[in-house]
This record gives sequence, structure tokens and C-alpha cells, in this order.
Amino acid sequence: MSTLHLVRQSAFATNDFAQCLSVLDHQDSIVLMDDGCYNLKHSLMDSLIKRVDGTLSINVITRHAQARAIEISAAVQHIEMSDVVELTFNHTKVITWQ
Amino acid sequence: MTSSYTQEKNDLPPSNGLAIINSKAPFSSNHGKDALDVALIFGSFEQKVSLFFQGDGVYQLIANQDARLVSIKDYLKTFSAFEFYDIEDIYVCQQSLVNRQLEEKFHIGDVQVLSSIEFGLALNRHQHVLRF
Repeated sequence: MSTLHLVRQSAFATNDFAQCLSVLDHQDSIVLMDDGCYNLKHSLMDSLIKRVDGTLSINVITRHAQARAIEISAAVQHIEMSDVVELTFNHTKVITWQ
Repeated sequence: MTSSYTQEKNDLPPSNGLAIINSKAPFSSNHGKDALDVALIFGSFEQKVSLFFQGDGVYQLIANQDARLVSIKDYLKTFSAFEFYDIEDIYVCQQSLVNRQLEEKFHIGDVQVLSSIEFGLALNRHQHVLRF
């Protein structure tokens, strides 16, 4: 039972991302999209990256980050919108945090 | 109370103009565009307007953004028209930049980065405030 988490809000404005991390399981995946891309620079992200044990994958939609002038980070995977379709099939459920 | 009064007296004259606070990130809502429209309308009627960027609103000023990548009309480019509308007072909250690990690199010039206290003082000099 794995979950795909679609994070669409800035953690600087809402606590959606914090709530997402509190229910996160080790086999889940996270996709940062829209304003969720801003979370790459949030302190929650630093602690998440330290927590990652290899099974959890963190992804960001490249164009959404580029549009916001957010630096490409090596700690996360860069994907396209079309890759999200595949991710939805690889997980049993999807939660959208918005 | 005393300190803000002294500040007004010694530093800058009290302003009667309009203050617009921008507090939302640029692409996921219409707030930024709406605030811009209001600012330019007031500007074209020669009303004094000051712009304040706080919280996620600071993202509106960051350099090298490209709204076309997310299929949005790039209203941020219109910010460069502020000088033609005599909008000269543009203030950014330094603490908001620091929290978001942002550098003071903006896509328009004449932006004043203020500490939280100075930011509050600048805002309080205005008689009318709109927040987006």
C-alpha cells in the first residue's frame, strides 16, 4: 500500500506540506508541483532529505520550478507532467495536498 | 507607539497615499495581477501608491521567472512600467526573503529591502491599505 503525494501549496503560506510529511510512509512518493515547488527551499525539505532512506522518492515538475526561478536541486528527481501519470499507476492511492 | 511617532517626525513625512500589500505567490492565483491592476489604475489617476511585498508575495519580485513555462500570461513584466506611473516606493520585507532563502535579486530596480520594523513603519505611514 503506497501513496503518491501531490504537493501543490507553498509551506511558507500553509501547513499542507507539514501535514503531508506527518503521514508519509517509507514507500510513498512525493511530487512537488505548482506552488509546492517553493518547498524545495523550506527547512522541512532539509529534514525530509535527511530522512530519506532510498525507497522514498521526491520529485519536482521541472517546468513548474523553472517558471518560478527555483534552482534545480540534485537531491530531488526532475520529472515532466506525463511522468505523473505513470506514478499514479505505480501507487495504490493518491493524495493531493491543496 | 512612542518610537513610531518619533520615526515619523524625524525621518519621513507621513503619507496620505495608498499602500498595497502583496502576500501571495505569483502564478497560482489572480491576487498578484489584481494588485497590479489596482496599482496602475491609481497611478494613472496620479494617486500616490506604495507597494509592499511580504510573505509569499516576495516571489513576485524575484528575477529570472518565466510564466510562459506554466502557460500563464507574464504580468510580472508589467512591473517595469511602475516608473511611468510614478510608483516609486516599492518595499520588500527582508525577513520574508531570508525565510525563503532568496537573494536580493529582483527583476525591477529601485526596490527597497526593509527590516521587519522598518517595513511596519513604512506601512503605518499610509492612510489606506489594500491587501492581496
